[in-house]
Amino acid sequence: MYTGEIIDCDVHHARGSDEEFISYLSRGWREYVADRGPAGVVPLTVQDGLPNPHGFMRADTYPEGGGAPGSDFETLRRQLLDRANVRRAILTFGDDSHVSGHHNPYFATELARALNDWTIERWLPKDSRIASSILVACQLPDRAAAEIRRHADNDRMVQVMLVDNPYNYGFGHPVFHPIYEAAEETGRPIAIHGGAGGWANPASTGGGNVTLYFEAHTLWPQAMMTHLVSFISHGVFDKYPKLRLLLIEGGAAWLPSLMWRCDCDYKGLRREVPWLRRLPSEYVAEHVWLTTQPLEISPKREQIVELLSWMNGAERLVYSSDYPHWDADEVNHISAQLPQSWHRKVFFENAMKLYGWSEAALPSPQMANA
Amino acid sequence: MSVDVGPVDDFPTKQMRIVDVGMRQIGIVRWGDRVFAVDNLCMHQGGPVCHGVLSGRLTASRPGELTLDESAPTLACPWHGWEFDLGTGRALLDARLRLRTFAARISDGRVLVDLR
Repeated sequence: MYTGEIIDCDVHHARGSDEEFISYLSRGWREYVADRGPAGVVPLTVQDGLPNPHGFMRADTYPEGGGAPGSDFETLRRQLLDRANVRRAILTFGDDSHVSGHHNPYFATELARALNDWTIERWLPKDSRIASSILVACQLPDRAAAEIRRHADNDRMVQVMLVDNPYNYGFGHPVFHPIYEAAEETGRPIAIHGGAGGWANPASTGGGNVTLYFEAHTLWPQAMMTHLVSFISHGVFDKYPKLRLLLIEGGAAWLPSLMWRCDCDYKGLRREVPWLRRLPSEYVAEHVWLTTQPLEISPKREQIVELLSWMNGAERLVYSSDYPHWDADEVNHISAQLPQSWHRKVFFENAMKLYGWSEAALPSPQMANA
Repeated sequence: MSVDVGPVDDFPTKQMRIVDVGMRQIGIVRWGDRVFAVDNLCMHQGGPVCHGVLSGRLTASRPGELTLDESAPTLACPWHGWEFDLGTGRALLDARLRLRTFAARISDGRVLVDLR
């Protein structure tokens, strides 16, 4: 089993309560959400319509003192950071990550801004191993770009996170490009997280909407496929040649067949996208990484290894736990599935390349908890 | 072996005309002052490539800004749309595939194709 250094690219932190967060909203928005009596506070999170019958959280992650899983640092430290040799854990928010699922684009934008500030003030000081995503509301891409630039000098705000899709066009559509311009300019990867077809947004799958969480979870790769092909088709990687894209929690084993299909279709449909400069798979090989969780499990281990080899998995996969969610992957589980020769790359080195970090950029192990 | 496939006036510029030469069908194209000859067999899946669309090369400096490069005659197979450079016979996006091409020229008002 792998016991070396780890960068965990998907750790969901949460608010313990509305109250601990509301003060981060502007005065005007605090008034907007204020408790108005029996109706209570305006909901700060998008309501999920597809319940998981045994809950979305690993049962043991509920803090002893109460609050949501991921809301208590000491529990997270004990169960995640200190449980393995974690050099860096990248926060990806919890239910709050679905800001782009809000109908009100102005509220969503304010929530994203305030959630980033809440994270910077309440979470980053707790442990030098912790870094965070910059959450943006995609409804207003220019405002999202401004939010990214606001954190340009904070080297612990390490990636730009997109989840819900407010507009029913793939994320490569030009309407979203101001976000990518800012990400490239500030050197942050774009991280699209599972659920990117929409949590609240109804268009979560192609061919028809799903009605059960089982369907939704199984089909999450569909949204990743949509967004990846959209990035390629709209020339995002030519327009922003330094842009890096991370697909979080969308699986990985589908990538080889999608790229085979995409390359083949490009040969017959070049006239529609003559601005492309390379085969689709060549863009992916340079610009795209995928997280391991939830790793597809094949009947025989060698089957998934061979499939992942076709996407150069040793170089393109980065480890993610998805703590504290019900479908989180343990280090031991992933290391048992992947060849030993891949371990250090997948658990550590590939993420270092993705984020452009040097060893000096990480806290040394003895500085953890500083 | 050069084969006389007809008077040059029978080959309007920028139009494909297919001629039978022995057992072979060859597409002849005049394009400016050049003449191209290509076997009517797509190396992708065996389609009659010369029945496809003949045009300049559609290009774009960036998404949405299409331009037509009139200097690059391009043949798209009618079966799957794969495009080929008429001069080299090469598929634009797959270096492994190449149509069979023949040297062609105009001499004394006649179009001649070298079948070697």
